[in-house]
Amino acid sequence: MNKEDLLSITIYRAKKVITMNPSNPEGTHVAVRDGVILGVGSLEEVAGWGDYKLDNSFSEHVIVPGFVEAHAHVMAGGMMLLPYVGYFERKLPDGSSAPGIKSYDALIDAMKLAESKLDDPDQPLVAVGFDPIYFPDQARLTRHELDKVSETRPIYLQHASGHLATVNTAMLAENNVTKGMNIEGLGRDSDGELDGELREPAAMSSCKTGNRIVQMVNHTEQAIRDLGALARNAGITTCTDLAGASILAPKALSMWQQITNDEHYPLRVAQYNIPAMPGAAAAFDEVADQFVELQKKQTEKLRFPGVKFVLDGSIQGFSALIDEPGYFSGEDHGQLLTVPEQFADWLRPFHRAGLNVHMHCNGNLTQQLAIDTVEKILREDPWLDHRHTITHAQLTTQAQLRKMSKLGLCANFFSNHIWYWGDQHYDITVGPERANAIEPCASALREGVSFSIHSDAGVTPLGSLHTMWCVVNRVTPSGRVLGEIEKISPYEALKAVTISAAYQMHLDDEIGSLEAGKKADFAILEEDPLSVDSMHIRDIKVWGTVLAGTKHQAAIPED
Amino acid sequence: MIGFTVLGGYLGAGKTTLVNRILRSNEGLNPRPKRIALLINDFGDINIDAQLIESRSDKQINLANGCVCCTLTDGFSDALETLMALDPQPEHIVVEASGVADVNNLSQYGNGLTLELAGIVVVVDAESVQEKAVDKYVGRTIRRQLKAADLILLNKVDLLADGEEQNLNSWLADLTNAAAVISCVNCDVPLSVILDVDSRAASADIDMQGHEHYGCWSYSFDAPVSRAALTRFTSGIGTEVLRCKGLFKNEIGGSFELQIVGKRCDVKQTESRSVDLCQVVAIGLEGILDPAKLDALAHKCFKRSV
Repeated sequence: MNKEDLLSITIYRAKKVITMNPSNPEGTHVAVRDGVILGVGSLEEVAGWGDYKLDNSFSEHVIVPGFVEAHAHVMAGGMMLLPYVGYFERKLPDGSSAPGIKSYDALIDAMKLAESKLDDPDQPLVAVGFDPIYFPDQARLTRHELDKVSETRPIYLQHASGHLATVNTAMLAENNVTKGMNIEGLGRDSDGELDGELREPAAMSSCKTGNRIVQMVNHTEQAIRDLGALARNAGITTCTDLAGASILAPKALSMWQQITNDEHYPLRVAQYNIPAMPGAAAAFDEVADQFVELQKKQTEKLRFPGVKFVLDGSIQGFSALIDEPGYFSGEDHGQLLTVPEQFADWLRPFHRAGLNVHMHCNGNLTQQLAIDTVEKILREDPWLDHRHTITHAQLTTQAQLRKMSKLGLCANFFSNHIWYWGDQHYDITVGPERANAIEPCASALREGVSFSIHSDAGVTPLGSLHTMWCVVNRVTPSGRVLGEIEKISPYEALKAVTISAAYQMHLDDEIGSLEAGKKADFAILEEDPLSVDSMHIRDIKVWGTVLAGTKHQAAIPED
Repeated sequence: MIGFTVLGGYLGAGKTTLVNRILRSNEGLNPRPKRIALLINDFGDINIDAQLIESRSDKQINLANGCVCCTLTDGFSDALETLMALDPQPEHIVVEASGVADVNNLSQYGNGLTLELAGIVVVVDAESVQEKAVDKYVGRTIRRQLKAADLILLNKVDLLADGEEQNLNSWLADLTNAAAVISCVNCDVPLSVILDVDSRAASADIDMQGHEHYGCWSYSFDAPVSRAALTRFTSGIGTEVLRCKGLFKNEIGGSFELQIVGKRCDVKQTESRSVDLCQVVAIGLEGILDPAKLDALAHKCFKRSV
């Protein structure tokens, strides 16, 4: 594109333009100059800015603000470098899909296929996405099943939770892991023989030739490119990478800068790094200064709005800290990853430096600590517009919403849980009442808590239409509706994946809605998410995106 | 194998005091000082004589006495990798777990191919531990730590009222699966008890760093031992032995390595025989550790010579 093109005006005609700007909600045309919106309205209303080129390519499409995913990880791209064998179908960067694996036989077949594609016989086969929670009637997966895939090639199957892996006999042998070893997380059969399951980091890292590969893929250029492709295919124009890369390391920073600043890269990335590994301390005053310095290096497509703290585990892993009456069934492994008395000291330097903080809280007791700590530091250092965010916030209670509203805390609900683990939450983890109140969007709306909704990709796939669909319909795979009363309208759901997501990153003056002066970031949809049958929202086809006035068409799978 | 100690305990219990003590006095390890590497949470808490510091960076402090300090900012695995790449490698690694860490999970790294667990030591604030053990945020975590501990340092006992120490001890006995409990002030406990002792040390040579109320016992003999004899010996030992190390020839050309720390008792069998003499050494509190009783136990279990 030459300079003249940049300064020239393009008017996109659409079947409908939905702006998420309350004072100018919709139109049929949007005018763009130099990557910036001049206006939305009728052709007549937007034509007066000067000579323009009318672009009719979206005349049968609906234009909405480019989706903003406020909780995802570069891992979404990294795991694309490894064969996916999860229970649910998953979209791939080239637009094709990896099928969902519903039985052990299908798992073995899929892994055999992946194995046959490896040329080097010594290269381990590492696959991802398997989750035993979907096979409750099956005996636990062991090395014996994986030995059917190969008895000679070492195999490492990482589970979806990230806390477990199953390996074959060759992988154990390659790493000299024997039954005489006392690591507690080494799974054993009733005879005391190793069964190939590895639980938690000490056991998982004992098979380091496999574990290393899972760790490595996220730090590759291809992971960043695949994240961009997956986002573009889903209509996402701004995506966070939470805790994904050690961005303060010069090598990582230059890799991210180089890739995102490439004009063909279709995504703005907002980096929210962790200041230290979960639970570990650091000289947080100095780290906060480093992040402030880092902000000076941000570009149009690589942003550093703030930092993330991870405060507990997950609900389905029973490691989120929840209050009385506790877990519905299963053993409670709930645990904070920070000493409660220390958290204010950890948070304060970032708050004082004006950095936005997103706090991972899956359990409501963890969330209480986060809320109380924010209240404490706000009393010391008032900042009315901090927009600190509780991210995941799945079991947020009514009292917590009332308090969050007063404190100006945002929520970012992990709405995909309703679909992916909703039945398990109802039947196993937290029981009917709390499962029905999970991701309480309608209550947040009523209490005036600004909220976004997210995929936590790669934990679940990137896809804002799916994320919207979850909170509008609240259905589970068994057909249950989880808390009818917490459903929200498609409009409110669209708000949660656009302007409200931008708001909690302090980017709402630039992106998240289509208004004069804001970035020309669009998602191009084949149907109107506000008027289709609500159960159809996740099936709406995405043509692709426009990012700062440049078109990025979604990959079209080869048949 | 590199010895590995997990040091746990809640905020304010005195872990940092102990870390500083280890850094300053590694010569107190018996029979010789070791190159100890400490993985710690926050350099800000380190309080050592500037003269002792040889060099320091953001993530590492090297001490003149051979000790190294690394931060855990990038996580345990990364820090461990850094340590293993050092030349020379450390001889013993101590990780200062965060106040809410699952020390049992962390200790599992000591059961792999490179690290050998030398004990989970948990420091407890005698004044506040009972209150914290029922705290809504951390109660379960604290109870889990106490349960996982091999050795508990019941710290700050000078602040307790009369009779409270006894109550605390019985409360701990219930909670901890009978971990060994040492009452102390300022974590003032000999390093050999906390970290390691060499089986080749004779009891007379063991430096107790001025702790007069600790006692030692050692025993040596020629004849190889059977697994059954060793089991008889270890089951005769109670928590009066705070730490014990032994190296024994076995009857099949290899050896047994025995390590006891508080309630933990590990016996490792190796195929090669590295010793000609069987030697065992134990440390405990003076007056509680009874050398005569241990002599009798050893005499009963082991043949003195071939």
